[in-house]
Parts: sequence; structure tokens; C-alpha cells
Amino acid sequence: MGVAGIFLGFAYLTLPLTAQQAAPRVDFQREVRPILSDACFHCHGPDKETRMAGLRLDTRDGAFSSRKNGTPITPGKLGESLLYQRITEEKVARRMPPASSHKTLTDKQKDTLKRWIEGGADWKEHWAFITPVRPVPPSVKSAQWARTPLDQFLLAKIENAGLTPAAPAGKRTLIRRVSLDLTGLPPSPEQVDEFLADKSTDAYEKLVDRLLASPQYGEHRARYWLDAARYADTHGLHVDNYREMWPYRDWVIGAFNRNVPFDRFTIEQVAGDLLPSKTLEQQIASGFHRCQVSTNEGGSIEKEVEAAYAKDRVDTTGTVFLGMTIGCATCHDHKFDPILQKDFYAMAAFFRNTTQAAMDGNIPDTPPQVVVPKMQDRPRWLELNAEVASLNNNLAAARKAPNATFDRWIESKERKALRSPLDTSSELLAVSVDKTAHLSRGRSTKNLALKSGVTVGESEKRQSLRFAAKSAISLPTLDQITADKPFSIATLVYLPKGEGNFTVASQLSRVKVDPPEVTKEGEVRKEILRGWTLEINARTPLLRLLGDNGRGIQIRSSSARRLKPGAWVQLTFTYDGSREQAGLGLYVDGATILTEGRGDPITHLPGTLTTKQPLVLGGDGNERYFADGAIADLRIFNRVITEEESRLAGVWPELAASRAKAASQLTAEQKEALRLYFLNGKDSSYRALVAQTNKANAERREIRNRGAVTLVMAEKPDTKPMANILYRGQYDQEREAVEPNSPSALPAMKDSLPRNRLGLAQWLVDPANPLVARVAVNRFWQEVFGTGIVRTAEDFGSQGEAPSHPELLDWLAVEFRESGWDVKKLFRLMVTSAAYRQESVSTDEKVKKDPDNRLLARGPRFRMDAEMIRDYALSASGLLAPAIGGPSVKPYQPDGLWETVAMQGSNTRYYKQDTGEKLYRRSLYTFWKRSAPPASMDIFNAPTRESCTVRRERTDTPLQALVTLNDPQFVEAARSLADRAMASVHDKVDAQFDFLSARLLARPLDPREREITRKAYKDYLNYYDSHPSDATKLLAVGESKPNPKLPVAEFAALTVVTNQLLNLDEVLNK
Amino acid sequence: MHPSDRAVLQETRRQFFARGARGLGAAALATAIGDDLRASPSLNAPIGGLPGLPHFAPKAKRAIYMHMVGAPPQLDLYDYKPGMKDWYDKDLPESIRRGQRLTTMTSGQSRFPIAPSVFKFAQHGKSGAWISELLPHTSKMVDDIAILRSLHTEAINHEPAITFIQTGNMLSGKPCVGAWMAYGLGSMNQDLPTFVVLNATHTHPKANVQAISAKFWSAGYLSAQYAGVTLRAGGDPVLYISNPDGMPPQIRRRMLDGLSELNQIEHEKLADPETMVRIAQYEMAFRMQSSVPELTDISKETESTYNMYGPEARKGGTFANSCLMARRLVERGVRFVQIYHRGWDVHGNLPEVLPSQCKDVDQGCWALVQDLKQRGMLDDTLVIWGGEFGRTIYSQGKLTATDYGRDHHPRCFSLWMAGGGVKPGIVHGETDEFSYNITQDPVHVRDFQATILRLFGIDHERFTYKYQGLDQKLTGVEKATIVKAIMA
Repeated sequence: MGVAGIFLGFAYLTLPLTAQQAAPRVDFQREVRPILSDACFHCHGPDKETRMAGLRLDTRDGAFSSRKNGTPITPGKLGESLLYQRITEEKVARRMPPASSHKTLTDKQKDTLKRWIEGGADWKEHWAFITPVRPVPPSVKSAQWARTPLDQFLLAKIENAGLTPAAPAGKRTLIRRVSLDLTGLPPSPEQVDEFLADKSTDAYEKLVDRLLASPQYGEHRARYWLDAARYADTHGLHVDNYREMWPYRDWVIGAFNRNVPFDRFTIEQVAGDLLPSKTLEQQIASGFHRCQVSTNEGGSIEKEVEAAYAKDRVDTTGTVFLGMTIGCATCHDHKFDPILQKDFYAMAAFFRNTTQAAMDGNIPDTPPQVVVPKMQDRPRWLELNAEVASLNNNLAAARKAPNATFDRWIESKERKALRSPLDTSSELLAVSVDKTAHLSRGRSTKNLALKSGVTVGESEKRQSLRFAAKSAISLPTLDQITADKPFSIATLVYLPKGEGNFTVASQLSRVKVDPPEVTKEGEVRKEILRGWTLEINARTPLLRLLGDNGRGIQIRSSSARRLKPGAWVQLTFTYDGSREQAGLGLYVDGATILTEGRGDPITHLPGTLTTKQPLVLGGDGNERYFADGAIADLRIFNRVITEEESRLAGVWPELAASRAKAASQLTAEQKEALRLYFLNGKDSSYRALVAQTNKANAERREIRNRGAVTLVMAEKPDTKPMANILYRGQYDQEREAVEPNSPSALPAMKDSLPRNRLGLAQWLVDPANPLVARVAVNRFWQEVFGTGIVRTAEDFGSQGEAPSHPELLDWLAVEFRESGWDVKKLFRLMVTSAAYRQESVSTDEKVKKDPDNRLLARGPRFRMDAEMIRDYALSASGLLAPAIGGPSVKPYQPDGLWETVAMQGSNTRYYKQDTGEKLYRRSLYTFWKRSAPPASMDIFNAPTRESCTVRRERTDTPLQALVTLNDPQFVEAARSLADRAMASVHDKVDAQFDFLSARLLARPLDPREREITRKAYKDYLNYYDSHPSDATKLLAVGESKPNPKLPVAEFAALTVVTNQLLNLDEVLNK
Repeated sequence: MHPSDRAVLQETRRQFFARGARGLGAAALATAIGDDLRASPSLNAPIGGLPGLPHFAPKAKRAIYMHMVGAPPQLDLYDYKPGMKDWYDKDLPESIRRGQRLTTMTSGQSRFPIAPSVFKFAQHGKSGAWISELLPHTSKMVDDIAILRSLHTEAINHEPAITFIQTGNMLSGKPCVGAWMAYGLGSMNQDLPTFVVLNATHTHPKANVQAISAKFWSAGYLSAQYAGVTLRAGGDPVLYISNPDGMPPQIRRRMLDGLSELNQIEHEKLADPETMVRIAQYEMAFRMQSSVPELTDISKETESTYNMYGPEARKGGTFANSCLMARRLVERGVRFVQIYHRGWDVHGNLPEVLPSQCKDVDQGCWALVQDLKQRGMLDDTLVIWGGEFGRTIYSQGKLTATDYGRDHHPRCFSLWMAGGGVKPGIVHGETDEFSYNITQDPVHVRDFQATILRLFGIDHERFTYKYQGLDQKLTGVEKATIVKAIMA
């Protein structure tokens, strides 16, 4: 908040912007309503529960209707206005507001109310709820000053305050300011020179258009939006693991760069997943509401967590789009604004029909999710998806179509000689069951010796190996499974009822660790496992491969698609021998399914996974079992098998049972199985289709593996959104059910709108909505001018601050909406205004009358945000890596910040700093761990991103000075810039200063500055001349290497000079 | 200096300290903006803080709050239940449990077998308080502390429960008690932060460790300057405090002088008062660079001090070291020190892990209280030890004669307070024979917070901050009662 903050309380108590003027007229919205709201509404406002004496002062009816004991307000008549009588009451016991409220009215406030009643008690609905209409810009004395209608509104107030605007800023100041505002980066000396050289009258406008068209514009705008969206790279609670959310961040950047109209921008983020024929981009956009924090804390009560998620989404929607503190109505009706508790839950209803589970699973891709191919793969991805869908249709049709060859084949002896669903040469092992269980390896087949608790019998109509509690069966070891060779496991299993954790099959060796070892990650290990295990945990199938030191890779199906308990399911896991997680595949019932856990830290299989231990069916050989489960068939192949082959493997029991039967005796299932076998083996056109499908699927897999997965919104298809009112906001105190709806005090949702998030989104951007456009323009204004027209950008309600320029706000809101919600146009309008183009030179009078620069009688100037300060240093020094988008990066950070707070087992417990280019990316790409946000940004008031933030603080603390003085990032930037200066200008220190100042200040040093810098340089040089080892040490800071050809003492001295200039107030301020 | 500048700076400085509350000082500022301002009377008073605060004469001026993350089991430490021996492996009666909710970690258990503590208890001091054998040092000081056995909360999981006891709300985003203090009472020093956080290490490899995060010491909706500043045991004690290698203090000083001169020129050009704030900000940073090394240099502590805190106190980051550091911090005028110690989430292996956890903290706690007492600082320094909730009498997982675990239990837990106006040598509150429900003198988390404020001379009802249109309080909207019985 800086100096602005210093004067805040003071300014508003004694110097309201308009109160010093002669005009006695009291502005109800600006002066009266805030007093009533703060002092009276708590007991005489919207909340009926806390309302006293049945009196409402927040409505016209309540305030002006006569009551038994009189009328609260009678226009023009103080004596007949009970309100005035009670606030000036002598007897303390009767005086309002009562002592128990801890509220008091100052004499000045009482006087305001007095003058307001005397002046006729003009009453209006709260300004923010009135749909804005475009006001006519006021007339002003110095009309020629205005360049845009904005300026007329501003100038009127400037003149009214007896001030005059500052002189127009020079071109250098202007290009620096506007480059920072539109791109977040300082201009290069070349850009400055080009602008200076352009003498045309519209040189500035051309510059603005160039900047608006640069891709850095979108990055800069996105940076603000990501605070509002509470974007981060971890889940935020408890284990606080990595989450793959960055495709959403890149969507935001792209949307600003494409200048997506703000209404579209809103709709796609609130409900992109619900748009008819939604695109991938629109789905990614819906990640807006997946940015919220989530948990996987053991012991959490799901209903409680779900209520908290819905609340966060209502709060965020309310703050970001409506500027309303709707969340205040979670436990009771809002105390100040006409938002009922019911309104809150009607809003919450929009968010309570999600397929998202309460527990995030600690995985990066918590469902619902989408695959996000790389940009260049996207057209092909869509093509492939369509192609595979059509191929699958064709395959299905071929399996149904009449086929005379098949009819003949089915009668042949050949089919009775079937030995395996696939080629026998690739089959390493098979366990099959008819009346007994058999184990086949190569050409030998023998009966399986059963153990107690393991029986052969029928489970749900299938002959199978059945497992009682704590029973398993050991087979000889299978030593062909190795880390470097492909293999597949296909099995048909019966999943018991319930949610248990089962091991279906495994082959594991165990090495005891005694005493238990504590790993670097903090895990306590009593034993180390090697081998593989096939599990079904909480109805999700999983294959784990463990190599050296118990490390390995795994694949599991998405928790969004859990298996059906008490039913048979065919599972096929494949592995391609690549040692990579991406080399694993899973089919369920012959179809590829969504898997999760991408990007988990376990991504490589080290060493060997071969073990001499037996292969165990029905357990892990130790403590996990497959109690009440059954296996009808299990096969291991020495190659990767395809989806179609997995389907074939799944019908082996039918194929096997068909062998002994005559064609006429075959069941429908057996016929179908035989047909599948026949088509795969004998039908060339079917085989051609399969080959095509396999090819397309392989390509899809490649695209998927090199792309990303991100979190999106999705609705349950079979239920309608609804919510229960929660008594006092408590999750277990459910009351009346409510339908989704917009808050009752705002224009109603049209009947034509669907009652889901899409309807909500469309309602938000309806022209009748009085808030969305105002709230948006106010925030954009804040980005440029430092403070919003409504200072409380998050709260346009009664308790928020009234707008400094209400007409200007309305004019901008209408202009924005009518321009087609054109964001770039709005920025162009703001930065081409005369107000924006002023010098930021202050005067005593201006500081006194308008300390916060709300009137804009001087150009906007304030300390930049954390990201801008860092990006500035990177850019000016030439270190900045220009790449846009992609996974987040980990630049320099002091050691130990993550592990002091993180849990054991968290995959964000240790900060592993990146190297090379990733150290120098723009700050919006810095990895954001919510429980330990980037330290240097945190110190500069960056939020934790745990909840939505639409207005950052701006404090000045010594800790910030320490960052820009000592953080290796800034020291390295200084050295790097000094390096460039020395490399480009030899032996002329003055010219080197020019090189520095052109990049840091966009101007040359003035003579006094030059003299100070010269002297300082000389002192530094003296020191480093006599302390060459210190010079060498200083130059070694950072990963990039200093130029070895430069003389070290001079180099070090100039580095300190650069460090000094980098810390100038002028550099830190926009 | 121009008169109007001076007016600005007068305001600036007061406000700067108010905002900064990072201390740093008068002298630095005077260097930056001229000696003629040094005489301001406000410099003797706390820097920053709200007018009108404290509301009453305060008993406590500073606090050291030791939070045992994960929730220590009251049943094995302070809430002695000898009768439970006879209940070994019997089911917790429904008449006690009364259908109260359980976490999903044990709600699926078919039985709730009672696990009596395997540890011995004995009475100590004049107060005759029963303390577990695991806390031999704490046992020696029962007459210095007030043990509260009847704390209760609504949160059943760590993250929300810690957030609740620190900030008065289970959802994050609210300021913690240390931040409230920094905001309301301001700083008592000029070179160090007002509110400091120490994260102590734990020893046992099997301890079940919960996450902590900056949200627990955040300033929430208060200005970020009131958030806790972490003092680290490794690397820079305060982030970025060290000059880069190869830049000695005299070069930094010379550089700051040059910087200040250049900023002065800018101020002449633009007349932006903010520029003067910037100059002061850098001077304060420099002072901090000098004072932090002095703070963290514990080599001059006496042998008798180390005898008291134990040899671990020499090792950076240990709990004993943190206690010693806390004493050094409050000595230097830091208002609020928060120490976190993790590993108390004893769902299993309790008999194995708990002794080690206690050993980590026991001597340090005792030494800290004795040390403060010896220095005459205990009277106005509030010391608090506790967790975020209690643990169940029934065993989580398998119960054997020598092994058990305990699940989360929000309905009762114990903590102790000392100094700063707390009545010493008392035990407050009682639980039923199962330590499951409170039978006497319940103390809600809100009551505990209201009491802390009261000890600082603050009426929790009147200590508010306007946010989202509401007068927000540490204790939230529900009624909170001051626990007078524990106040001296």
C-alpha cells in the first residue's frame, strides 16, 4: 500500500474527496449509506435472525415507513426522524448504536446524517445493484486537456479539488510506463530509440498497438488473473503434492493474447465443459474452478470437504465476477448486503453436481481431467480420436455382420484345436480353469496343486480359482519378467463386494531392513520390495513394477472409473520394457481406459525387477490377499498386447469351453467369442481394421505421453444440481433443499437459461447484470492506475468503499460491454488517456489533498509486484528466457524452505532447483507450492494462492530490500548486465554506465547521478583491486558463467554499481 | 528539508513502523531522513500498534507459544486415568461415545478397544499434579505452570484444527494469534521482526509427521507485514539476510549510501513521499543485517545456561535450541515467538514414538520457563505448550500389551500455560474416566484465545479488524468466555 496506505485512514476521516468543497449536498451513496451500513445494518439490515425491533434501515420501506413509535426518517424533518433522535439521544442507554455493538458515530457522521435528512433524505438503492447506464461526460474548464472521455470525468474532479493535472510525461517515461503496464517488461534501448525517433503524431498510439500485439501482453495480464483464479502447482492441503494445472495457466495467457471477449472468457472458465460441442480449449478453461485447494488428508469427512469446495467456488465466483462477499451468507443472511443464506446455497448448488471426488488422491491429475496434447499435436489428436471412434464402430459392426466363412469355420475341426487366445509362442504362462485349474508354461500343461482356502468352483457363473480369507497359491518363479523386456498380464477376475484393497497376483522378493532405514524422503523402510504386483485398491486396478531399492513405476486406472464390485472384469496390463511410466498400459474389458498418476515422481524403473521368488496368485506372499475374489484366467505374454488382443484374452474361458462342443451346442457367448477369434485370425478385412486401429491407438498414446493432462470441471450426467441449506454453515446440519439460482437481489436468471453452471455463466454476462462489467473494468483499472475506482476491488457491497468516480466507472462498464467486452480496447483506452500520460511529479498540495493519487492529478506510479520486479531484472540483464507456457519451473530458492513444512512422502518435499534456461523464465512460470510459495515473491506480497485474491497488498518492508540486494537471482542479473556492458563498451566506464541506465531506467544518467555513480564505482574498484578473491567470489554468484576475459576488479565494481542501480526506487516503481 | 516533506515524513515514519512493525529503527531512519526527527515522543512507546490498545493493564507483554504438531495424547501425558487399567481391551461403552463422530481412519473399526497408557504417572509439586514419567523435567515445574485438561475443539483433522487454534477459524485465510498481536500491539524492538516463527526438528524416525505451512503464521486479511517471519536454523537465519559472497559489509554500506543519494535526487524530481520510505526501508534492512547475526550467535551463552537447556541446545534447529533462541528473541523485544515441533500424530507405535517426542521437548520447555524466571521475564512473558486436539482412549489398529495407537479426538485435550499473568501451580478442568468427554470447566479454543488476549490486556470483543464488511475478531462470531480461573 506504500505511502498511499499511510494516508488512508487519515484521508478518509478528514478529507473525503468531495467533502471539502462548498457544495453542502450530501451524496447518499458515498456518504450516507456507508454510515448506515456500518453502524446500523448489523441489527437493522438484511439478516432477519439478528434484526432488532423488526426495523430495517437497508430498504426504503423500512427507513421511511411510520411505526408505532414514530418514523425512522422523515425527509426534511429532523424532529420527526427517529433515527436522528436516537443517534443524538442524551441517555446512553437509549442511544444508537448501543454500546454492546462496539460501534460509535462520530460527530461528523452525525452531522452528515443530519444534513442528509434536512436536505430531503434522498434515497437510492445501493449503487452497485443498479444496472449502469452510460453517463454523459461532465463539462470541464480545460477541455483541451482531455484526450478521451475518461479524462473528462477525471478532470472534473481534479478541477473540483482545485488541482491541475501534471504536465505530459516525456517519451522515455511514457514508453517505460506503458511497456510495463502492457507487457510487464521494461522496453529495450532499441525500442526506446525507435519510439524517440518516431516523430509522427500517433507514435504513441502505434507503440501501444505494438505492445498489445506482443505475446508478452497475454503473459502479463494472465499474471493478475492467476491470483484471482487461485492458480498453483500443488493441491494446497496436507501432503500438498504436485498437480498438473499449468495447461489452464497457458489457456489464460492465450485467451488474453487472442483477446477473447470477456464474456466468452467468463463463460468458458465457469462452464467451458458444458458448452455444446465443447473444444479442448474450452474444457481446459473450465480448470478455473479446479484451481481451488483440495485435500487427501486421511480421516477427512467427505461431506465436510465437499461443502468446503462448494463454498470456495461460490466465494471465488462472487469475488471475481460479482465483487460480492457472497460467502458471508454461508452461516446466516448477509449482515449488510441483500444476500440471503438461501442465495448462498442456491449459488452453491451450481457447484455441487460435480464428478470430482472429495479426496484428491494426492495425484497430479485428479479426475475429472482431460488429455492436453502439445499444441502442434492437437489437430492430429482430434483426427485420431474421430478415426478410432469410427474404426471401433466398424469393428463392432464387423463382429455382428453375417459371415458365411465363419459359419463354415465354426463347423471345422480347426477351431477345436485352439490352445491359446493369442499366439502360443508369446505366452509365458497361463492359468486356466475348467473343472480343475491348469498351469501352462510353454508346451507343458499340468494341473495346479491347490492349497487350503483356494478352491475351484463357480463364482457368478464362471468356473474359477476362488480365494478364501488369507489364502494364496504359489507357482514356480517366472524369470522372464525383466525391466528391459516387454510383457503383458491379462486376467479375468471376480472383484469381491466392498471397497477393500486386494492383491490379485504378485512376484516379489523382500529384503528386511533392520534397523529400519529412513530414506531421504523421510519414509521409514522396514523392508525393500522387488518385483511386480497386480492390485485392486478401492476398486481401482493397479500394476506396480519395483526395481532396485524398491523404486519403480506404476499404472492405475482413474478413480473416476472405479470397477463394479461383485462382478467379473477383464484386466490387461502391458509394459514395453522402456523402464518409463509412460511405457505402461491398461485395458479394462478390452478397452483402453483413463489412467492416472501421470507425472508422479516415480517415473523410472531402476535396476532389475527380476526375482527368484515364486509367482503368487491371490496375494503378495505376505500380508495382502484377494479374500473372496476369484481368478478365471490369467496369462502372461512376452510382448505388449493390443486392445483387440486384450479383448481376445478376455474370452478365453468361452473359447476353451467351446472346444469340446459341437457347433449346434454352442452358447451365444461362446459363438461370439469364437467369432472374435475367427475374425482376428482369419478375416483379412477385419485384421486390416484392427491393424489400423492399433496404429491409430499407438499414435494417440505417443501424443498423449508427450502432452499433458489437466484438471477440468465435469457434471454428473444422471443428477441435477441442488444443495441443502446448511444450518450455520455446518456440513452435517442439512436443512431445506434449494435449486441452483442467482442471488435474489440481482436481476433474475432468464427462464431460457439452463439451471447449471452454463446458465450461471450466461447470467453473469447478461447485459442486465449490474456488476460483472463494473467489477472487471475496475480490476483492469487497478492494474494500470494502482488503485481501483472502487478501492475494495473484492467488495462492491455496502461495506466496500464507494467508487471515487461513480460516473466514470459506469461509463467504462457500459463502454466495455458495448465494445463486445473487448479487453485490449479497454487497455488501449486507459493508456492513451491524458491522465495516464501525465508525469508522475507530485506537489505538496497534491500529496496533501490526494495522497493516494485517486484523483489522478499526476501520473500513476507505484511499487511493482514481485513478478514484475524479478522479470525486470531478468529482462534488463538479458538473462530472460523468452519461451511462453509449459510446465512450471524452479528457479533459485534458498535451501530448506519446502522440507521444513512438508510431510514425509510429499512429492513437493524437496525443492530441486532447475538449471539452464529454466532459471530465467518469467515469474508467472515459477512453480507455486501453496504451503510454501516462492519466497522472494511471498516477501513482495504475492498471495499464497490458497484462495482467490483480486487485490494485492503493497507494503514496504526491509525483507524486500534484502531480496533485491542479495537474492542470487538479482545478484546474477546485476553481474550479467555488467558483463554485457563491459563486453560492448571497452574501457569507458561512463559509456558502461550509459549502457546500464539505458536498460534499467530507459534514460541516461543526469550529471549529478553520474557523479555519484562514478565515485561509488571508484570506491568499489579500490576495494576489489586490493581484494581480487572477493571480486572472483562475487562474480561467481549464479549458475551462468561470468565472462573470463574481463578484468575481475573492474567487473566486480561494475557489478556492484549495477546492483545499486537495480535497487533504485525508480527501478522498483512503475 | 521542505516543511511539507517533514510533515509527510512524520506521518511516514509512524506509519512505516506501524506497517513494518518489523522494527528497525529510529536511528536508521534518522540517518536517512535527518536527525531533527529523532526527538519524536512516539519513539519510546511501542512502534506501531493500535491506539487505545491494550484496553486494560496487560499482564503479558510477549509470548512464546510452542505448538506440538500432530496432537499429543493427553492420556499419556497430563490426563491421568488410572481406572483404565481395568478396562484394557474392553470396548469403549456407547454411553461414553454417544455416537460422536469419528475420523474415517477408525470409523470403520469393528471394535474400539480401550488402551490404557503404558506409562507411569506420579504426583508432583505443591499442586500435586499427575504427570507422566515421560516428562521428568516438566514434572519439576508443575508449580510454575497451569495445566488445562479441558480444551476442546470442533476440528477433527490436523490441517483445519491447527488453523483453528492458530487463527480462530478452520478455513485458512484468517490471521493467526501472533499476527493479531503484531498488528494490535506493535513492536518492542527496532532491529528484528515482531513475530518470529521457529520450526524445530524431531528425532524419532518413525514419528508420524504432519505438514505445516505458512498459513499457520500468516497475517490473513491483516497486512502481510504482521505475518510471522521464519528464523531458520540452516542457511540464512532470515531469508536473504547475507550479502553475496565477495561483498563485505563496508561495500554494502558504501553501496547503500550511493543508493540513498540517488534516491534523494529522484525524490527532488518527483516529490513522491514513497521514495523516502524506500530510503528508510534500505537502512532498516542494513540494520537487520547487523542485528540478526548477533541474535543467532549463541556462543556467548553461559555454561549454566547450556546445563539447563541440555547439550542439544547447541545444535541448530533442535527444540532445545529453539527454546534458547526464543528466549534470546523475547529478550531483544520480539513480541511473539511461535515454535512448531512435529511428529506427534501417534496413530500407531505410540509406546515407541512418544518417549522420543517427549524427550525432544521436555527439557527445553522446563529450561525456558526457568530461564525466563531467572531473568525476571516470566512475569510478563506468556508461555504456552499444546497441540491442536486430543487423542482417543481406544486404540487405533491392533492393541497389545505393549503397543497401541490413538486416533484424533477433538472433545478434550490438555495444554499448559505459564507466566504472563497465568496462575501458577493449578490444574484446570476435568474429563470423564475415559478422557473422552469433559465433565468440568470446558475451555473451547475460542475461550483459550480470548484468555490469551485478556492476558495481554485486550478485550477480544473490541479487538477487531474490518474485512469483508465485518468487524473480524480472532475469536470469531461465536461467544467466547475468558477463563478467569487460570488468571493470577
